[in-house]
Amino acid sequence: MIRIIGVHKWLGGRPVLSGVDLDVREGETLAIMGPSGTGKSVLLKHIVGLFDPDAGDILVDGISVPSADRAEMAAVRTRTAYVFQNSALFDSMTVRGNLLMGLPPGFCRGRAPKCEELVRTALDHVNLEPEVLTLLPAELSGGMQRRVAIARAIIGKRRYVLYDEPTTGLDPVNATRINRLIARVSEEVDATSIVVTHDVESAFFLADRIALLSDGVVAAEGTPRQLRETDNRAVREFLDAAPARGPA
Amino acid sequence: MKAPNLLAAPGRSARVAALHAGRVGMLGLATLRALAYPRRYALETVHHAKFIGLDSLPLVLLMGALSGAVMAQQTMYQLSPGLPREIVAGGVVGGMLTELGPVLTAVVLAGRVGAAIGAELGTMKVTNQIDALLTMGRDPVVELVVPRVVAGTIILIPLVMLANAMGVFSGYVTSVGILGLSTAEYVDGAKGYYHHGALIFSLVKAVAYGFAITFISSHVGLRASGGAAGVGRTATRAVVAIIVSIMVLDTVLGPVYKTLT
Repeated sequence: MIRIIGVHKWLGGRPVLSGVDLDVREGETLAIMGPSGTGKSVLLKHIVGLFDPDAGDILVDGISVPSADRAEMAAVRTRTAYVFQNSALFDSMTVRGNLLMGLPPGFCRGRAPKCEELVRTALDHVNLEPEVLTLLPAELSGGMQRRVAIARAIIGKRRYVLYDEPTTGLDPVNATRINRLIARVSEEVDATSIVVTHDVESAFFLADRIALLSDGVVAAEGTPRQLRETDNRAVREFLDAAPARGPA
Repeated sequence: MKAPNLLAAPGRSARVAALHAGRVGMLGLATLRALAYPRRYALETVHHAKFIGLDSLPLVLLMGALSGAVMAQQTMYQLSPGLPREIVAGGVVGGMLTELGPVLTAVVLAGRVGAAIGAELGTMKVTNQIDALLTMGRDPVVELVVPRVVAGTIILIPLVMLANAMGVFSGYVTSVGILGLSTAEYVDGAKGYYHHGALIFSLVKAVAYGFAITFISSHVGLRASGGAAGVGRTATRAVVAIIVSIMVLDTVLGPVYKTLT
């Protein structure tokens, strides 16, 4: 379980997070939604220790991330995988090299066949052909890069998969494909997923629960249905302003 | 009217310098600590040694050849009237081993390797690849910095030696072919000057410069920010910082030569 407790963060002289409280339950897909610049990605980065909060705490399976020592942080990072907004594939490595990086350091030493099998399985999960294994990220389309990034995140069978704006920058067809992929993969690998997005369609398609971040706090939280029906002003403003993209 | 605080600017500079020194120190400590796990970086080190060493070799040899030729000519024109002509070989051997071989090799590598490392790590930083490494439980120092630093520190030794040899040979060709020395005069002059201390001094400089080039460019690359323009600035900053460091090290290492002779 992931617990976010009263997290405050200032960046560039302004408050970005002003006391965020949020629990992520085992096995669920939680979408963190909100307008651009409300600190959704910043919040996600706190979970994997890329940011330290100015105040508050983040617990991953009971380990306090901000005060974790090296061993505890290593434990947190073997349980979490992060899919970056821009995919963040290692551009000097082939797709195979990128996927192998998703496995724990030293995992493949002496067990190459097992690793090759994991690579093929991960690729299969994201509907990519083995031919792409020898390609460099620059030789892939944006949608394919995103799929490789997801494959890299799930290859190590991490307990928590964090997606940072997984459909941003993609055309509607590819965005829909990625949403379906995330939904299927989350079920197949039995992972707890957190999806940060400003795309309402994505959030409502993927999430078991949605949290709306506004003005640095969680303004509303609930199932997609509860959020559709709420008269919370922040939710209504956000949903009414969101452009419809069609069914995911 | 409020009086200007004359201590504000120097104070701010001192704070920035202290912060910078702290960061360099932290990266240095992390690099030293990571050296204890050679299995984790050995393969990458070989890859970088090829890029730093083998791929730079033609340029390094060219610079060595040109500097040996220049050294021979200038020694002849400026010192030989009134002095034995063998002094030309002494000038070439001494100049190449103690200064031109190591310094020019380092300057060549600052432009070629330092800029490349700065830009590569800078790009990785601004495109979240460094963050991606961290989230995978991998240490960017072990994965990225140590292989480059180890490769650079080791590979500069043969590169500087080859530059020295090329310079001495080209000095010979220039002396005999253009300046009218005989082979015997050149060989006698070279033998008369040569001592192991100069060679060891050359090796010490090679190691120091190899470390400085790769460590500084890695440090600057890992601090990159600001997208494509930021990466460009990072590459420039890396080259400038390396060249300044080479000259500072050149000055600081001067007394070492005295202890070796």
